[in-house]
Amino acid sequence: MINLAELKQDLYKEVTEHNDIRYCFNCSTCISGCPASEANPPLLIRNLVRKVLLGQEDALLDDDSPWACVTCSKCEEMCPMGVKPFELCLAIRRWQCRNDETRIPQSLPELFERGYTQPVEKAQALRASVGLGELSLVVHDPELLKRFQAMLKETKIVKENSYMFKE
Amino acid sequence: MKYGFFPGCNMPAIRPDVEKAIRLSMPRLGVELEEMEGYVCCPAYGTFHSSDEEATLAVSGWNLSIAEQKGLDVLVECGSCYSSLRMGKSLLEDHERKSRVDELLKKAEKKYEGKATVRHMIEVLYRDVGVEKIKQEVKRPLEGVSAVIQYPCHTVYPSDIVGFDPRGGKPYMLGELVEALGAKVEHFSCEYQCCGGAGGFHRNSAIEAAAFAKRKLDAIKAETGAKLIVVSCITCLMFLDSVQKELNSGGGSYSIPVFDYNQILSLCMGFPAEQVAAIATTPRDEIVKLF
Repeated sequence: MINLAELKQDLYKEVTEHNDIRYCFNCSTCISGCPASEANPPLLIRNLVRKVLLGQEDALLDDDSPWACVTCSKCEEMCPMGVKPFELCLAIRRWQCRNDETRIPQSLPELFERGYTQPVEKAQALRASVGLGELSLVVHDPELLKRFQAMLKETKIVKENSYMFKE
Repeated sequence: MKYGFFPGCNMPAIRPDVEKAIRLSMPRLGVELEEMEGYVCCPAYGTFHSSDEEATLAVSGWNLSIAEQKGLDVLVECGSCYSSLRMGKSLLEDHERKSRVDELLKKAEKKYEGKATVRHMIEVLYRDVGVEKIKQEVKRPLEGVSAVIQYPCHTVYPSDIVGFDPRGGKPYMLGELVEALGAKVEHFSCEYQCCGGAGGFHRNSAIEAAAFAKRKLDAIKAETGAKLIVVSCITCLMFLDSVQKELNSGGGSYSIPVFDYNQILSLCMGFPAEQVAAIATTPRDEIVKLF
């Protein structure tokens, strides 16, 4: 049961930074074409829209389902109301990260440290085996890497969670 | 024809044979690939897109500015990189977002003006190179071989941001590119279903994501005589290749080789498999021995 007294009005304004999800009329088109609607727990975007619009802050914070999105964006194509369900999914992830630092993806510090999520700089033997040389990577150029990190250090996520990011 | 080549991170780190295939086959078709020195992660949807918008756009701006400085458009094979960069560019058309990103890029001594366009490999091959040119460069055609196509979702949806087909509707360009190699492209019921390998689906729900891919593989087996799957996205390639082993360990029987388009194109051009098609989980010998 939903306790109306515990709901946070205007939650949708906090979550959705740019587009208006109030046009959603719960038709479920976003779910019908969604691969991750088969995930466990299922990603049911329509239900996420309801949670945001009703202002169910605690339930939204605990919801893992946005992280099962495959990012295929089919929902974005099919939504008849221009709600942009895929972008809402990313916006909910961002809102969760802002409110719970344990949600921040572990790949962020890696990206900050070396520029990539995969260890491209360590793949030299494999690359050489197919006749490829080294790429010109940010991690090979200390001055460039410093500029990359200086830029990211100005962003909110790095500023507010600076302990996670090592130079 | 000259492009800034954006390899992403899965390709150079895990599947460099695809990178080699691109670097060998594209110049043969008259496409020059320029390095994008100091490029970084696209950023992947699971990273900054999922945690901070201004950081996302700063990283997009960083990458796009490298090609822009050279006066080039960006060429991408990875569907996720392509979609992320297109999405970044689209969001940066908003004046407010762009001014914030301009400030951030100033810290990095970079400047973004929005001049570079992000192009996917399929579109560049189909439009800029053309099917006729590809036919001319095929030395060993795939005559009589049946293939099916995995169309990368990130090049289809949302069409107003990533789409490149003015006809809209079902994608077809990759299919025609495969036919240009002499192969027969077969159609099947799950043809336009995404691979299921991107984002967090497989990471969060491995069993369900494998079952999702199984539906497609079963349809290929039941409805076609395909000897190979052709993709043009590093995620589709890695996932459809590895998920077959995963399904086989649970009692399945799947052995359909998966190739990136530039790999099969390179083989048709006569380049050695040891360089352009060296890495796979599901064995590709049945196809490779044809060359």
